[in-house]
Amino acid sequence: MSGSNVWSRTREKMRLFPELFAQCANEAAVYGKCVAATTTGTQELRKDLCAKEFEALKICFTNAVSASVSNCHTESSV
Amino acid sequence: MSGRLCRRLLRLGLPASSAGGWSRLSGAGLNGTGPPGAGRSGLSGGGRMNVFSREMKQRQKDWAAQLQDSQQYDYLRQEFHLHPPPSLCTRSDQVGSRVADRVYDIARTFPLALDIGGGRSHIAEHLSKEVVERFCLTDVSQQSLRRRRPSEIPTHCVLADEEFLPFKENTFDLVVSSLALHWINDLPGALRQIHQVLKPDGVFIGAMVGGETLYELRCSLQLAETEREGGFSPHISPYTAVTDLGNLLGQAGFNMLTVDIDDIQVHYPGIMEVMTDLQGMGESNCAWNRKSLLHRDTILAAAAIYKEMYGSEDGSIPATFEILYMIGWKPHESQAKPAKRGSATASFGDLSKTG
Repeated sequence: MSGSNVWSRTREKMRLFPELFAQCANEAAVYGKCVAATTTGTQELRKDLCAKEFEALKICFTNAVSASVSNCHTESSV
Repeated sequence: MSGRLCRRLLRLGLPASSAGGWSRLSGAGLNGTGPPGAGRSGLSGGGRMNVFSREMKQRQKDWAAQLQDSQQYDYLRQEFHLHPPPSLCTRSDQVGSRVADRVYDIARTFPLALDIGGGRSHIAEHLSKEVVERFCLTDVSQQSLRRRRPSEIPTHCVLADEEFLPFKENTFDLVVSSLALHWINDLPGALRQIHQVLKPDGVFIGAMVGGETLYELRCSLQLAETEREGGFSPHISPYTAVTDLGNLLGQAGFNMLTVDIDDIQVHYPGIMEVMTDLQGMGESNCAWNRKSLLHRDTILAAAAIYKEMYGSEDGSIPATFEILYMIGWKPHESQAKPAKRGSATASFGDLSKTG
């Protein structure tokens, strides 16, 4: 498979993941603590137990993505 | 498309290796992947385990081998250099060089050796002609064999599936295997075949990932999927426990067994690097029950959980690889046997009288 296809484009997008994730370290730590608490405590993990924390993480991540996208656009337009 | 046609023809008439196929020592071997499930006359008869899709594993290995920068994923299989720069390090070789160490520990010269699932041949490059005179390398992936690492030992390449060895009985003095046995469906059957192709007093030295390998990744994905999606599916393949390995080797007919474990912890910047490296090594999941999709939310959640639960102070996350090394010998009269009952010439009670 040569040229640009959905797999190569997706791989390119995933390559940005670590950088963008690093920008949301705080929200990630809060979410991670919420889930990790279920492994030691008495409460069992079920769906959406930490939904609030995850929403915060997702919003931060989405903002980081749109910030990087707009950066790309301003660079290419110059 | 002639490759596919060739494969279909082979599916119809491929005999199990227990019937004693001849060794094909030319470069163009035959592709031994049989059809999944029914239709195989396996050694174990009915109830064969079929966990992995061997065809998928071949495609993954082919893809990994033809990557431009495939060497950088070899660190586990190759030699361990201290303080390596991540892009250039070849840590994969750790296992290959340690298997070669075990071969050197045996003070013998092996005229003919076999490397099962050898891929790009990480063991032969550490061996010398005095120890092994001729080497035979098998793998399911043709691309890996084409790109094998150079070695001073004359090597024949055979394209063969590890579960269907196309060799005659009593052919090899030494069989080695490095990080290939964890993708085999029928491990007892494969060990029995290895036992068969060995000459009496031949030795099998193997290394496979097992036990608690990648438990951090497995737990992170499990927790993330449970919290985000309400259930989880297995993303890490099932591994052999070290306690089962002794039984497996014994049942296959090996004696004088040695099994030991090596815990290798590799540190990565994040979960994406772990998964990318596993993909580059050709170790992607190929179990039949694998989910083909990982939701972006789940990836995000798993990254957060992995970092929080297992991350170290410098921000990196560890991934554990538990390598099980095994040595087994094919029985021969010259090997030491337990003494007969009643043949003792000294008593344990005399121990207290010494000194």
